[in-house]
Amino acid sequence: MKQENIRNFSIIAHIDHGKSTIADRILELTGAITEREMKDQLLDSMELERERGITIKLNAVQLKYNYKNNDYIMHLIDTPGHVDFSYEVSRSLAACEGAVLVVDAAQGIEAQTLANVYLALENDLTIIPVINKIDLPNADVPKVKQELISTLGFSEEEIILTSAKTGEGIKELIETIIEKVPAPSGNPNDKLRALVFDSFFDPYRGVVALVRIVDGKIKVKDKIKLMASGATHDVTELGINSPKQQIKEYLTAGEVGYICGSIKSISDIKVGDTITLENNPATEKLPGYKPMKPMVFCGLYPVESNRYTDLREALEKLKLNDAALEFIPETSEALGFGFRCGFLGLLHMEIIEERIEREFNIDLIATSPSVIYKITKTDGEIINIDSPSKMPDRQKIKLIEEPYIRTNIYVPSEYIGQIMELCQNKRGTYINMEYITAERVNIHYEIPLSEIVYDFFDKLKGVTRGYASFDYDLIGYKPSDLVKMDILLNGKSIDALSLIVHKDFAYKRGKAIVESLRKLIPRQLFEVPIQAVIGSKVISRTDIKALRKNVLAKCYGGDITRKRKLLEKQKEGKKRMKMVGNVEVPSEAFLAVLSMEEE
Amino acid sequence: MSIYIHIPFCTQICSYCDFPKVLKNEKLIDKYLISLEKEIQEKYKNEVVSTLYIGGGTPTSLSLKQLTTLFKIIEKINLSKDAEVTIEANTEDLTIEKLKLLKKYVNRLSIGIQTFNATRLKELNRKININNLKNAFKHFDNINIDLMYGFKSQTILDLKEDLEKIIKLKPAHISTYSLIIEPNTLFYINKYNKIDEDLDRKMYDHIIKVLKQNGYNHYEISNFAKEKFESRHNLVYWNNENYYGFGLGASGYLKNTRYENTRSLTNYLNGKYIMNKHKLTQNETIQNEFMLGFRKVNGINKIEFKEKYNINIDDIKEIKELLKLNLLLENQTNIYINPNYLYTSNEILIRLIDLDAGLC
Repeated sequence: MKQENIRNFSIIAHIDHGKSTIADRILELTGAITEREMKDQLLDSMELERERGITIKLNAVQLKYNYKNNDYIMHLIDTPGHVDFSYEVSRSLAACEGAVLVVDAAQGIEAQTLANVYLALENDLTIIPVINKIDLPNADVPKVKQELISTLGFSEEEIILTSAKTGEGIKELIETIIEKVPAPSGNPNDKLRALVFDSFFDPYRGVVALVRIVDGKIKVKDKIKLMASGATHDVTELGINSPKQQIKEYLTAGEVGYICGSIKSISDIKVGDTITLENNPATEKLPGYKPMKPMVFCGLYPVESNRYTDLREALEKLKLNDAALEFIPETSEALGFGFRCGFLGLLHMEIIEERIEREFNIDLIATSPSVIYKITKTDGEIINIDSPSKMPDRQKIKLIEEPYIRTNIYVPSEYIGQIMELCQNKRGTYINMEYITAERVNIHYEIPLSEIVYDFFDKLKGVTRGYASFDYDLIGYKPSDLVKMDILLNGKSIDALSLIVHKDFAYKRGKAIVESLRKLIPRQLFEVPIQAVIGSKVISRTDIKALRKNVLAKCYGGDITRKRKLLEKQKEGKKRMKMVGNVEVPSEAFLAVLSMEEE
Repeated sequence: MSIYIHIPFCTQICSYCDFPKVLKNEKLIDKYLISLEKEIQEKYKNEVVSTLYIGGGTPTSLSLKQLTTLFKIIEKINLSKDAEVTIEANTEDLTIEKLKLLKKYVNRLSIGIQTFNATRLKELNRKININNLKNAFKHFDNINIDLMYGFKSQTILDLKEDLEKIIKLKPAHISTYSLIIEPNTLFYINKYNKIDEDLDRKMYDHIIKVLKQNGYNHYEISNFAKEKFESRHNLVYWNNENYYGFGLGASGYLKNTRYENTRSLTNYLNGKYIMNKHKLTQNETIQNEFMLGFRKVNGINKIEFKEKYNINIDDIKEIKELLKLNLLLENQTNIYINPNYLYTSNEILIRLIDLDAGLC
């Protein structure tokens, strides 16, 4: 295939705006799959992805299309839709020359629409704007058109109207991609440079890397070198997805495909790295590589402590396919043996937790999430801590800094007041506000990331009745007046419940946590005081009253077996409890800091 | 040996009852008594029986003739000379004629009163005949009265009234039960609310105080007796001893095996008696010993335990721990639940129901 007849593109959209259904229709129309083969939304293959309506792992499919008597090859590169994975999005966009921007005809532009557009622009992509779901009864095409024109500077003629549901506009879209997206420009005779934009682990072939050949050519048996990591491997197999895998002899500049090389660990071939030939290496690697760094941390512990090894195996298996997941063993006095885990963001964390519970059947206790705090000690040493338990003594701390983000909150203007109140409560600093249309604004605040990892999403949805969309950029570290707050149960400090809070918010949060623990921890045989303390100062205290009744009152008729079953049932109920000192604490209580009600 | 006989018939159904029972039907009762006789003939090996308990349902709802048939069946049982023979009774049934008949075959009445309060009786779907109640006390000196508490909107004052009326009757034995809303009861279906746990406990503590003041010995979680009038039959259960269970839904414990009879009347009438059988391991037997024995205020006798199981009770790890926590207490002869925790004893028992005593 001539290079000028190749088109590489992605589809970008806010969650639920119809990215995957558009991909499905394109696959159908180009004959890549028949309707009968069609599982709904083929590209989203993981069960969890389909349930949440988001794409977590990427995929790249080769399509064929005949246009004006010319055969074209198109590579559709799928991208995840969530801010947690924005680095992965940016790398798959880097593998393309064009992007289809999908906007829901009823919803209009949302936070992630813009975030994705900016990523596409950074990568110099040709953007084709599409208004999808025009068949919806509440579609407002003129209004959404206006948003695209005024916010993003498209012209009205550029905008394509589609309904992925009925198939309307899809043919036009494909042909517009061919017309407008430039052919790849790399040189097939240059030294090999291939961009790794995704990888996954296959138990039989090792790591499968998805690559875009930028320059040169790659063949089976080539000895390849990763330019950032320096690792070398032999290519054992390569090919394309159509969407079934087809083995090929070689891949050449402009093409998108997969390569395998008996690579054991996904960390050996990182997304964003450049592949070249060991004996004929390129001089410069492709731009944009950065190692992925976890932003959010929490402790994961098995509810049943004898399942520690199972949990380790589960994390190892997930890690095979997830270079961003980090974990190291951690011991908690309260929870026993577990792992400190690092995630790209909250969604990433939730997905991992859910997969461990669902696919590996391990009940988990997750401690409240933390960010990385940068602490300058009085002796000048600077340390990074990802857990309150690692916080040094207060006397030894000179300065604490914490990561801040800048928000994009897209919301109908009637909710501005509520958003401002919420952000203020989350220690936010108001920056500015942009009117997208007369009724919709983008509100910018600077907020500590640690406030976002608590209940920001839920609160945001609550105060705007689901109308807000939210996205953020990390803007770096800022000094904060932070203190470590400990929670004492029956006079004993519970390490897994400690947290780092801002001094001005400590009293309020302490009170809320103590109250929420009182509700979550059942009454015990004795009275249990709960205290929130900073250093030795008690900020808040409440008591769980002693249990007054739990008895099999009548036991006559000699029906012992049934009575015994009642006791066994009670015993079973206690399995989700952890003995902390002599207090039985249900596993949910360790997330109390998240579920607390602030008045 | 002991025997429990279940008579599942009632004139009306109490709102809280989840025992096997059906509304009274003359033909069914006749068939039932035939099947019951057959069951006893099949299973009973003519052991000497020291306690016999006829429960229900409402055994006294049977007619004089039917009761006579029942007692004919019972006459064939090899009762010891001093056997305790109890029948459960409702006051409405206790006419002079029935009392006279009962007097010939039983020596202990267990009368369900539950409450004297008219509104509550209505809620419970029960009635009381005060005249019959007084007559019963003229015919029997060993009578148990059942008292229930913990009703919706009940106050301590209400409870006091009920207690006073019962104490005035001078029964030899009093059983008190906090209302439990079991599934498959009228109360459950109608979403009847109970009082909260704190008031419930106050009532329990109040009952213990008042009954002690009036000379009753608190000998089991829910049971009180004048000296020597403890229920010997119920002590068989609590001492983890053997007994036959005859009749619909009855359960028994023989040769290390616990069994439950069918709860289906059709099956029972067709002679399909046993529904479940479970042979206990040594560990389960000991676990049950604790579950039952610790219901008694005096708990478990250490020497008897050693004789029964050939291990020292305080060698058991879980018992040691509970003693250390002061949840169990001990004296020279016995180990027992700290009285402060008797009403929360499930919390203690669940630490014992899966223990391994180091036996098989």
